This record gives sequence, structure tokens and C-alpha cells, in this order.
Amino acid sequence: MVVGAGVSGLECARALARAGHDVLVIDKARGVGGRCATRRIEGQPVDHGLAFLHGSDPGFLAALDAVAADGAGTPLEGWPAAVQGSGSPCQPDAFAPGERRVAFAEGVSAFPKHLARELRVRLQTRVTALGLAGLRLALELDDGGRIDAETVVLALPLEQARELLATLPAGIADLDGVRALLSMLGTLPCLTVMAGYPPEIGAAVPFDLCYPAGSRALQLVAHDSAKRAAPAQCVMVYQARPAWSRERLEAEPSQWAPELLEAAAGLCGTWTAQPLWHQTHRWRFARVDRGSELAGPVVVQFPGGARLALAGESFAPGGGVEAAFLSGRRLAARLHEEFA
Amino acid sequence: MTSVTAGLQHLVERDRDHECEGYGPNHLCVRLVGAADLPTRFGEFSIVAFWNNRDAKEHVAIVRGDVRDREQVPCRVHSECLTGDALGSLRCDCRDQLEAALRRIGELPQGIVLYMRQEGRGIGLINKVRAYALQDRGLDTVEANLALGFRDDERDYAIAAHMIHSLGVKSIRLMTNNPQKVEQLQQYGIEVDGRDPHILPPNPHNLFYLQTKANRSGHFIDFAGKPHLAEQGDWVRVEGMPERIPEEE
Repeated sequence: MVVGAGVSGLECARALARAGHDVLVIDKARGVGGRCATRRIEGQPVDHGLAFLHGSDPGFLAALDAVAADGAGTPLEGWPAAVQGSGSPCQPDAFAPGERRVAFAEGVSAFPKHLARELRVRLQTRVTALGLAGLRLALELDDGGRIDAETVVLALPLEQARELLATLPAGIADLDGVRALLSMLGTLPCLTVMAGYPPEIGAAVPFDLCYPAGSRALQLVAHDSAKRAAPAQCVMVYQARPAWSRERLEAEPSQWAPELLEAAAGLCGTWTAQPLWHQTHRWRFARVDRGSELAGPVVVQFPGGARLALAGESFAPGGGVEAAFLSGRRLAARLHEEFA
Repeated sequence: MTSVTAGLQHLVERDRDHECEGYGPNHLCVRLVGAADLPTRFGEFSIVAFWNNRDAKEHVAIVRGDVRDREQVPCRVHSECLTGDALGSLRCDCRDQLEAALRRIGELPQGIVLYMRQEGRGIGLINKVRAYALQDRGLDTVEANLALGFRDDERDYAIAAHMIHSLGVKSIRLMTNNPQKVEQLQQYGIEVDGRDPHILPPNPHNLFYLQTKANRSGHFIDFAGKPHLAEQGDWVRVEGMPERIPEEE
């Protein structure tokens, strides 16, 4: 049982399924991918989570290659090509030498969709609590249902995993240790605005991606429609800095979205503040705070033999999608070894 | 400049364009990039700085005497530990181990201490501090420690092997209590002509090793009640202790 259909959960499930295990993935969202997310707005894909994928691990790159090989996505190698601004990227390693960067014309969610294609995935189901049911672990679901499993993988943002761990009883040494460890770590929030403009605006945007320096509000401006073939409209994605996002996390989008568009106007031109439409997204747990990553996934063995494991972006060095993918893969290998 | 350092300078010149296939699966390659005299309180040494093609870690070798083409050169591989080596922390035995190695080699005609700049265990100092924080709360669980740190032994040994090779040594005697380290280096083509146990002189801070037994995870509990992790990947032996850690009861 894997909770969380983001890249780490999907890769973990995929590797376990390939090794012959019966795996079910469960997620609260309507689609797979977690923060590797794409929305369709007026028929056009918009990446409102991460803007592109990057990595250097051969296994991860092979998985990216497989997306195109199976006809599941059209890779845009080297995207973003035009990068402006001297602000810091969310992932400092993204532009390191030897790092490969790629986006997909269909949206970055082409990657998780590809990972999920042979998996059993149950969507729109939230796990509300964990418990011990005899020798197995029980998952309480928001629809009142209950599933039990010998092995449960939590492939969730750190805070959500921590919340679920808190529903288990204390007194198991490894579990207490892991809980204490997670209490020292955290993730960063990111408020996001997607905005549409007339198509001719797109030709005048001089960048694919911009990391503004000196803006308290803006972390990143992505020229999203630059990733689309013959886009019907110009779409920009604005992502806010962690502290700015944290201050407004509980506020209504109507309070912060105009403010973020205004900040972009100061940077890119007044046109940004008058979009044809805009949508918002609140990424409560957007990414790992650099320095919060752990070395590897975690497996807690319960006295009866049940196992609870954790994977995700926080459970591999470096953070980002690559770390999420590798933590899922490493966890699957470890679980398989211990199964056998 | 001593004649030993002058000899090492030749190796720096030799390595100027050095580029090889590299050691291990990650094709690690190092170059000698600087050598100088290093008089220490433990004796006369030379220090050799290495560049490597994988990360920005600046590993060094502390060399005693002319080791080129020598056989059975005593060699100790030490992993950097800021808290122990520099700050004198009593949560580990790194400083005792480093000092014992330098002192011993300082009394010999030849020898090498490789000082590997990968902070203790794991991703680095940040996670070491977190591991200590868990210990302070009485939690020293295997899983939490695994998540906090991995020793990338593969990389450690590949770099160490290349460094030894670059120094032109014919064969070494490894100063360690962990026979696995011998095998690891041999895998990378280093001729290890024997192992010498690395025994620490007793002092007020490590007496507990003689008085207590290892706990469940193989750690000794010190006088302050803190478990000592095997930060050097080498179990500690204080004079008077048997060759092996006593089995847990």
C-alpha cells in the first residue's frame, strides 16, 4: 500500500510491482503527480507546480527517456533555454554543469502519468489516520472505509507524513526516533498564480524562466506557454517566495493574487497585472527546505511484522523530483530485499 | 623546503595534466595540486592537497618521509570530524584517533595520514548535529540514524585508493581495527601488506571504554550518558581492550 501518488510514491509502487508485489496507490487528489502537476485551462496545459524536471542520475534520466519512447509525452530537451534574473533557483543544482533539464509539451505531469500507467491507483481518497490491526497496519479513509496492509509506504510531504505518524501509538523505539527526527525538518510553502494573456504578448516575453533578484514576493516567473506548440494564449505562472507565501498562507487568494501580479508588473511590465483570466494554487508543502533532506528512506518495523516506510523528496539528498524518484526506487529495493 | 616536500612537488608537476579513467563506478580521479612542509607538534610532515573530479571536497594527505616506491608504508585513513578534530568534542573519539595516528607516524621514518573531507557520517555536519539532537532526547534508533547518514564508502575508498596510488607508494600497512577497510582498498588495486591495530592511549575521557560494554547498536555509552557513534567507520580500541568488541549479552 502506497499513500501518495507523487513521483516518489509512483516510482516506489512501480518498482515493487515490477518485482512481483501487489501494490495499491492511494491519493487524495483527482490526478496523479503531486507537485509534478499540470492543469488544463481553456484547453491548454499549464504547469502550476514545478516548471521543469532536471537531474543527472542515470536511472532517473532513463525514466525520463521512457516517457517519449512510449509516446506518452513530447520532451522539450534543455527547457528552459532562456533564463533571466539573478535570483536563486528553487533548486540550486538545476543549472549545474552535467545536469539535464527537460519539460514536456503536454505538461510536466506527462512524467508521473507515465509512471502510473500500469499501476492500480485509487484517487480522491484521503487517509485520515493509521492504526495497528493485529499484525497489520490499518488505514482509516475519509469516506469511512478502512484498508489494512502488511506494508504501508507514506510518500507524502514531510508534514503530512508526520501528521499520520502522530496517529500511531508511542512506545515503539524506531517510530519514536523517526517522529523526533521529522519534527526537526520541514518544507516550504509556495503561493502560485497562473494568468492568461492575448497570444501576441507571448512573443514579447524575453524569457522562458525568470528568477527575479531582490523581489520579496516573487521567486519565479515561468513563461508557461513557451512550452506549448502553437499556444492559443500566452500563459504565465508566478510563484511566490517561501516567507511571503507563509505570511499569506491562510488568507483568501483574492487577497494575495493581485499583490503577486502587481509584483510581477514591476518586473516584466504593466501588462502582467491585467490578465484575461487568472487562477491560483496554494502549495502548502511546495518543496524541501535546503538542508532538510535526509540521506535515505525510512522503514519502521512493528513488533508483529507490519512495516511503515517513508519516501519522498525529503528522503534523498538534493531534493526535487529526482530525489523523490530515487527515494521511491531505493525504498522499493529495500522493501523487496527484506520481503524476500 | 624539505627534500621530502621537494619530491612531492615533482608529483604535483607530474599530475598537472593527469586524467585517468578514474576509480570505481563513479570514475573518481584525483590530482596532486599542492605540497608544502608541515611541521607539527607530532613531528615533521609534508601536506599534500588533492583535487578531485567529483565534488568540491579538498582532501589532503599528511606525509611523513619519502614514501615514493616504498613498501609497507604505515597509512591511516581519517574522516573529517569538525566537532571532534577541531573543537575537542567528547561525543566521539575522532581527535584521539587522529592524534594517535599522527603521533605514531611522527615517530616513524615514513607514513601517511589521509584526511578525507567528508564530515563524519552522512550528508554532513547538519545531519550530524541532528543525530546528536536525537541522542540528547534519549533517542538513538537505528532507523533515524540511517536516515540521517550514510557513509558513501564506495566513494571514500575510491578516492583514498587513488590518493595512495598518486603518492607513488608500492604497498601500505593499514592502521585500522576494521579488517573490511583492508579489503575495500585492495579492491581498488592498493597493495595492503598487513594491518596494524589502531590503539588509543587511555585518558580520562575514554576510560569508559574499559568499563562499559557496547549497547544494542554497538555503541559505547560515555560518562555523560551519550552513545559514541563509530564516526571513523572503525571501532575504537583503547589500550587494555581486547581485539574485538565484546559480543552483546
